[in-house]
Amino acid sequence: MCMQKRRFLSLAVAFVAFAFWFGFPEKSHAVPSYARQTGMACEACHTVFPELTPFGRAFKLNGYLIDNLPQVQGITTSKEQALLLNQLPPLSLMFQASYTQTSKALPDSAATGTNAQNGQVLFPQQASLFYAGRIAPNMGAFIQITYDPVSGTVGWDNTDIRYANQVPAVTDGLTYGFTLNNNPTVQDVWNSTPAWQTPFDQRTSAAPMPAAATQIDQTLAGGVAGLTAYAWWKNSIYGEFGLYRSAPQGVGGSAGAGPLDSQSGGVISGYAPYWRLAYEKQWDQNSLMVGTYGLDVQLHPASDPTVRINVPLAGPTDHYRDIAFDAQYQFIGDEHLFSVQTTYIRENMWLDQSFALGFSSNPTDDLRTFRLGGTYYYQRKYGASLGYFSTTGSADAVRYGSGTAIFGSASGSPNSNGWIGELDYVPWQNVKFALQYTAYNKFNGASSNYDGLGRNASDNNTLYLLAWIAF
Amino acid sequence: MKLNPTTPFALLLLFAAAPAFAQDEDAARLAIGVCAACHGPRGESVAPAFPRLAAQRAEYIESQLKSFRDRTRSDPMAQGYMWGMTSQLSDGTIAGLAEYYSKQKPVRNGQQGNPKLLQEGKTIYEQGIPATNVPACITCHGKDAEGSAVYPRLAGQHAPYLVKQIALFKSALRADPNAAVMHAISAGMSFEQAEAVAAYLASK
Repeated sequence: MCMQKRRFLSLAVAFVAFAFWFGFPEKSHAVPSYARQTGMACEACHTVFPELTPFGRAFKLNGYLIDNLPQVQGITTSKEQALLLNQLPPLSLMFQASYTQTSKALPDSAATGTNAQNGQVLFPQQASLFYAGRIAPNMGAFIQITYDPVSGTVGWDNTDIRYANQVPAVTDGLTYGFTLNNNPTVQDVWNSTPAWQTPFDQRTSAAPMPAAATQIDQTLAGGVAGLTAYAWWKNSIYGEFGLYRSAPQGVGGSAGAGPLDSQSGGVISGYAPYWRLAYEKQWDQNSLMVGTYGLDVQLHPASDPTVRINVPLAGPTDHYRDIAFDAQYQFIGDEHLFSVQTTYIRENMWLDQSFALGFSSNPTDDLRTFRLGGTYYYQRKYGASLGYFSTTGSADAVRYGSGTAIFGSASGSPNSNGWIGELDYVPWQNVKFALQYTAYNKFNGASSNYDGLGRNASDNNTLYLLAWIAF
Repeated sequence: MKLNPTTPFALLLLFAAAPAFAQDEDAARLAIGVCAACHGPRGESVAPAFPRLAAQRAEYIESQLKSFRDRTRSDPMAQGYMWGMTSQLSDGTIAGLAEYYSKQKPVRNGQQGNPKLLQEGKTIYEQGIPATNVPACITCHGKDAEGSAVYPRLAGQHAPYLVKQIALFKSALRADPNAAVMHAISAGMSFEQAEAVAAYLASK
């Protein structure tokens, strides 16, 4: 009786984990709002959405301001612009439908010994409403509201509101700005940082994914608010620095919007600094960027739902330091497009609070993530991409070894790696069909029987068909 | 104190000119802040997809910006980029932008191409192609390809851009009001000849 109850509990936790992992804000980037505002076709700013061209990077760094719509205007008595609103709001919609199949079906969540349906249709896989464009004379926004079919709710997604201006007196132009956003690297303009990294950006919601990820690798997405300042010189040199603080969605409950306390999970202590430096060189039809970015977070560990310990927001914290490097190369020709993106993130963890509370086996851990991918398009219509991903790190039985089916790890190791291949057909600039296959060499610490209950890494190999339209 | 009789007139002139000064400043800000993203802060674009505008004829820039705004120039890059960029430009701003770019220092590529190709290009530029009734480019575009009145400067322009424009004139995909003459001329040019002239012009 006790065994059955524990097994049920572990499956329930697995189900919660399933919903938790798959309910993350999805990344999406194609925004016809900007096409409506600028009057320019998608290809001006995107090689093929979501990847940005050098002009697209300039558009974003200048505050999403380039605007060729009639305006509602207001000026002060000293002839300063007091209001500048598009007569037509730059709204757009995004719709994705998908089919996902894993190499081996997932087990039924209740009836043991049988399998769930393999071959899941998500309709929508995701649907989003965007307001994207200028909101004031020097301010622009990228605001996304997303319907997530897993939770069945509409939620607040990637948001980047920014102020930008230029100092024309500086030779070759200096652009500076501030961004208020809810996801470290969402404000970045190269497709080699986590929020927008191609060709890894489109993943199904309906298949298992490796559990371990560094803090800067979308882990904080949607649960933080950050203010950063940046400068960009000569279309070439970029520097940014800012601070993030916890701002989770859906807190407060019946008691109303209260401050974060021991009932909240994963609260950042104080402010987490974020930095980003990049150097881009453009020549002929090529551009090459090398850069570095990082985040330093003091975190109160999330409460443990199975043991019901509420972690007070006091005393020692867990300290995560993420230091990352990235690079991007693009060739944008008349007929051929080719790009390569790569990033390497190294995370060091000093788990003072977690270790003391028994949430980790080790007082310190580390985690490293590496991704390298390339994409080719012919006439911006027929494309193919290939990517390699790898996460390795110190084994930590308590932290990673949940022992749950499918999503856990028997070895307590975070190591996962594999390949993604994708074929794309883009009949019109705002419509994309993708056929994607993900193959895992290693999943949550092992190639075979990684969860201790018989599932192999290759059982999670995923076939994913995606229809993606933005309008 | 006796007021100089010319003073009111001078003041009037100054006030009349003030909007023009403000407009020049606005145009420069626009050029450096917006157009620079593709064309470079002084019109010295790096990518051949985007033409160099530095030292371009003001009359030509003005006519092209108006053609983009009117949507009479309708080649693919025009539709994708320039229709949007120009839709809200006033005549005054267009004049200011034309003035700004025409005053910039020309870009000297110093490109060294295949000498045979450059020589062939020079010959076509200076003498035309009699066999197919192609007149000498020099007659409209100037001795040093610096342009004249509304005929654009070609010296120092990206070779791939020039070749593409010849192709667009030939297929009539580029159909702005001044394109009719180039449509007739390009009909008599082969792709190899266009490449030769473009290489020669890019090297100037």
